[in-house]
Amino acid sequence: MIPAAETGPAPVSSPPKKERGTPFLLDFVPLEGEKETRLKPFFDRLREGRLSTTKCPRDGRIDWPPRVTCPRCHTESLEWIDLPDQGRLYAFSAVLGGAPLGMESEVPFAVGLVDLDGAPLRLYGRIEGRPWNELAVGEPVRVETYDVGDGRFFYRFRTVR
Amino acid sequence: MIGRRVALVGGASTPFGVRPTTWTELAQEVGAALFRAMPELRAEDVDSLFVGAAEPERFAFQSHVAPLVAEQMGLQPRRILQRTELACASGQSAIRSAYAAIAAGLSDVAVAVGVEKMNLPDMAEANSAMGCVLDRAWDGPHGATAPPFFAMVAQRHMLEYGTTEEQLAAVSEKNHRFANSNPNAQFYAKTFARDKLLRLPVVAPPLRLGDCSSMTDGAAAVVLVAEDLARKYTATPGWVRGTGQYSDFHNLANAGSLTDWVGMKHAVREALRSAKIETADLDLAELHDCFTISEIIEYEALGLCGPGEGGRFAADGRGELGGDLAVNTRGGLLGCGHPLGATGISQALEVYQQFAGTVPPVRQVSSPEWALVHNLSGSANVHSVMVYQRGQGS
Repeated sequence: MIPAAETGPAPVSSPPKKERGTPFLLDFVPLEGEKETRLKPFFDRLREGRLSTTKCPRDGRIDWPPRVTCPRCHTESLEWIDLPDQGRLYAFSAVLGGAPLGMESEVPFAVGLVDLDGAPLRLYGRIEGRPWNELAVGEPVRVETYDVGDGRFFYRFRTVR
Repeated sequence: MIGRRVALVGGASTPFGVRPTTWTELAQEVGAALFRAMPELRAEDVDSLFVGAAEPERFAFQSHVAPLVAEQMGLQPRRILQRTELACASGQSAIRSAYAAIAAGLSDVAVAVGVEKMNLPDMAEANSAMGCVLDRAWDGPHGATAPPFFAMVAQRHMLEYGTTEEQLAAVSEKNHRFANSNPNAQFYAKTFARDKLLRLPVVAPPLRLGDCSSMTDGAAAVVLVAEDLARKYTATPGWVRGTGQYSDFHNLANAGSLTDWVGMKHAVREALRSAKIETADLDLAELHDCFTISEIIEYEALGLCGPGEGGRFAADGRGELGGDLAVNTRGGLLGCGHPLGATGISQALEVYQQFAGTVPPVRQVSSPEWALVHNLSGSANVHSVMVYQRGQGS
């Protein structure tokens, strides 16, 4: 089993029911509570501002997204490791139209692939901070965690320049 | 290839586009079109049905679609009935499954049909459906759909190789021009000159509207049969000679190079190896041009040109009729639209009709013998390939 995060505020076990909003089956954000996922420690760490993932203690390799089993040796005893909070834009684009349900009001928004500094990971994510047409491949960004609006947390990137 | 030989012996398509019909009505339409196009085919001949449908749960709130489609088409399959789901390659997957079943002796006459109804009253719902093709829980919350992903592919190809917007437009202009000869194409009646394409709105920079295939309603069906039955249905069978498939990742973090589609190279190599031919032997290819940049990288992965040379290959007209290889004579996904499950079937139908010599002369390849059909799915993380040879009296 993956050990729980050691500290941090106790999260709600499920997102509070919204009177209106995105229907459950069209809501992209994962369920984060202990009744819903074995990856609750990941989301607990997000609430502390830490982006993390799982590492196999046998071969020392990290995977993305975090897992409950190793895809190579299939052990269920994985370790949590904090990821670097800085990276650089490998590629980016923007959604100028055709957004999914619940994201229409956020258009236009920038997205990109970020090479994390010092970790063999290139993560996809929303790029906040400056408009898409002012971004540049190679520019530095930092990891940011945020409340999606109903108690669930997720991560994104923000420009630093 | 192993097992019995398998022939593609005919097919039909509904018009593709923004259609005032339901998902179920499209299944009826394609059934009627199939039996009109193949008067030799009797419903009781069809022992198996493979239904390529990517997201009926999302687009039509309908599961268990294989028996539904059988009923709509007037079929009562008695050997194998199943749905195949592989997102944008669901139709190709239906054909591969039908091929495998017939080669193994489990079916003699199989229909592979693709149905998709993507235009909904609220297109944000349809966009969400497209988003869950990717890794919904991890990439989806950021707003991950196909256009921004393939836009990043284009950005990297431009950065690494100097590919230009004009080269992207060359692909779009070619495929839209071919679609002008295909009455079932979504953009049959619309012309797109290159300068017009370069003025269309940007959807996901650097991709403009004309660089992206559309949300499309449509259905298509083909018939595959065991070797001894081919001549009962057609004088020009397309023999399945090779097939290959490769998948190397799903979450976008694990994509590796955006511009070197290693998985496609593997799938193409396997398909050509099993057909015992090389890329240079091909007379036509249906390549998965969900975006203009896709076709450019597919030229490279197919070995038509070197790494990074796909843009120039397009601009120099080497993918045209009379060029190095006729690519997407049907009109491609860009010109025909992309009803996910129907696309791979429609591409196979183009191959059959090219072999039969029944397409309009402006897109007819001269005496084609070898054809390759390629579909990617998702974020180009799966590649599926079929190779067909025109029947030569056997």
